[in-house]
Amino acid sequence: MPPAGAEPQPQSFTTPEVQVSDQPHDTEEADAYMDPNLDRERIRILPGSSETAASFQFDNEDHTLGNALRYVIMKNPDVEFCGYSIPHPSEAKLNLRIQTYDNVSVYTVLEKGLKDLEDLCDVVIDKFTVAREDFKSGGQDTEMRDAWGRV
Amino acid sequence: MSTYTTAGAQQQQQQQSSMAHDASSSTDERARFVEYSCGDCDAPVSLKRGEPIRCRSCGHRVLYKKRTHRMVQFEAR
Amino acid sequence: MRVPSQAELQERKRVQIGIETTSNAQSTDFPGHWPGENHEWNLDYIKENLNVKFHTSTPFDSEFSLIGIDTSVANAFRRILLAEIPTLAIETVFIYQNTSVMQDEVLAHRLGLIPLQASRRGLNWMKWYQKPTEEDEGSGAPSDYNCAILRLNVKCEWQEGGLQRAARGETDPDKLYVNHSIYARDLQWQAIGKQAEMFADGPIQAVNPDILIMKLRPGQEIELLMHAMKGIGQDHAKFSPVATASYRLLPTIDIMKPIIGADAKKFARCFPKGVIRLDSVTSEEASELDCKENEVKAVVANPMRDTVSRECLRHAEFKDKVKLGRVRDHFIFRIESTGQWESEDLFLESVKLLKVKCQRMRRGLDAMMN
Repeated sequence: MPPAGAEPQPQSFTTPEVQVSDQPHDTEEADAYMDPNLDRERIRILPGSSETAASFQFDNEDHTLGNALRYVIMKNPDVEFCGYSIPHPSEAKLNLRIQTYDNVSVYTVLEKGLKDLEDLCDVVIDKFTVAREDFKSGGQDTEMRDAWGRV
Repeated sequence: MSTYTTAGAQQQQQQQSSMAHDASSSTDERARFVEYSCGDCDAPVSLKRGEPIRCRSCGHRVLYKKRTHRMVQFEAR
Repeated sequence: MRVPSQAELQERKRVQIGIETTSNAQSTDFPGHWPGENHEWNLDYIKENLNVKFHTSTPFDSEFSLIGIDTSVANAFRRILLAEIPTLAIETVFIYQNTSVMQDEVLAHRLGLIPLQASRRGLNWMKWYQKPTEEDEGSGAPSDYNCAILRLNVKCEWQEGGLQRAARGETDPDKLYVNHSIYARDLQWQAIGKQAEMFADGPIQAVNPDILIMKLRPGQEIELLMHAMKGIGQDHAKFSPVATASYRLLPTIDIMKPIIGADAKKFARCFPKGVIRLDSVTSEEASELDCKENEVKAVVANPMRDTVSRECLRHAEFKDKVKLGRVRDHFIFRIESTGQWESEDLFLESVKLLKVKCQRMRRGLDAMMN
């Protein structure tokens, strides 16, 4: 089951036999996975929204994206308010509210938030990779130990 | 949770037809035996209708009918 | 624009821990929170301040510090590690024969929980399994690129002369029966289609061959076929790639007034070994601290080993002499893998997945705007 995007399927019968597919399937599904239209269906703008104050609803997202995105958007000085909620625990939905100052569009703010979070991920990957190389080559000090004294 | 699959039924039909083929080649009598296993000594016991319910090797009177070879599907969760 | 001092910044990101309270737990690094200060998003500032330090690095268990990141992001990584990284696990069990004492559904559940391992290349090549939909009957058939077949066929029997030994009172199953225990190593993988090629450098097998699945007695038999598929922890815990992935904040211990002599020894005993060191007071310090030379004084040696039990706060003699806290942006991650991925690759994968989440959302947003 993909992590997000597809609806849960009903339980069904399968056979113990497994087909051997002769079709090339190296890229085909990866493309379907990144189909922008599938992702477009997951975003809704809730009623009563204006250009500077809007509530978005994302399907199949949770605190993982919600809280991180809220933090990054709050770092934007054009934002008056940003908050998120999961309206009901049994529905895989995420509501995100953004209000901006000075006629700044909520869409650009949201877009910038997502972009900033991606940039942050890149920085983390770079730093982590370098630190790991350093540690493996014995360059970093190993003085810090955990609460149980393991190296 | 469990479900019987059509494919399993097909497979069983194949098995039965092959068994029937074997039986006809030896004796038809064979087909009327039912396989049990002894509750005490675990020896296989074949019984015909009307025969005393008793293990041939140890005389134990509790016999267990074997589970069929029918496939059952489960979700591992 | 006001720029706060380094000491002030340090104090701001200190979570204070009292006897029964924690305070200052919330981040305040947002524009408009501190008058006259700039807390605008700044990637260069993050690049400068983000720091990763390794403590332990073994293939399936690693510990490292991620310093200079907000809780919301660190927590996103942790959540992705637990629930969103795909792994291979047994998903469907087709039972042909089970005359053991274990019920079919219990056996199927146990099989599902066995961690599997295989070639990294093969695992990356494998795709999600899409269940068939009601509208399209031909869809969702398991194929070589989304489903692996494993078999388990075991029959328990008496050993040669086992029956006689049992009659004589022997009870050791090893001396009486053959195949009396089924272990994870008994799962046999059958390569289909392209799998033989893709998994050439690592067959699909259980991570730990010694997992006891069930026990049998003579006459009992297991015959079954399994489908292993890719899934994520959000769907079922068996798909979670980690035994545990957690973080804790770096503890801090500030000794505000010197703790000397017998008190120092008692103070050290309030903490796990290695957290507090006892140093001898030198002659210069002695007059300043108002005590004799060569008496011991408590010094913080390694706060990282502290469990923050708060024991020291329960004793009157340490009142106002010690402050406990945690650093809000210093996350000590511990990632224990179940064996399908290496711990550090798992972390990198979690960061990549958060990025992909954002990318997909941005693409969806773009599609919506146009």
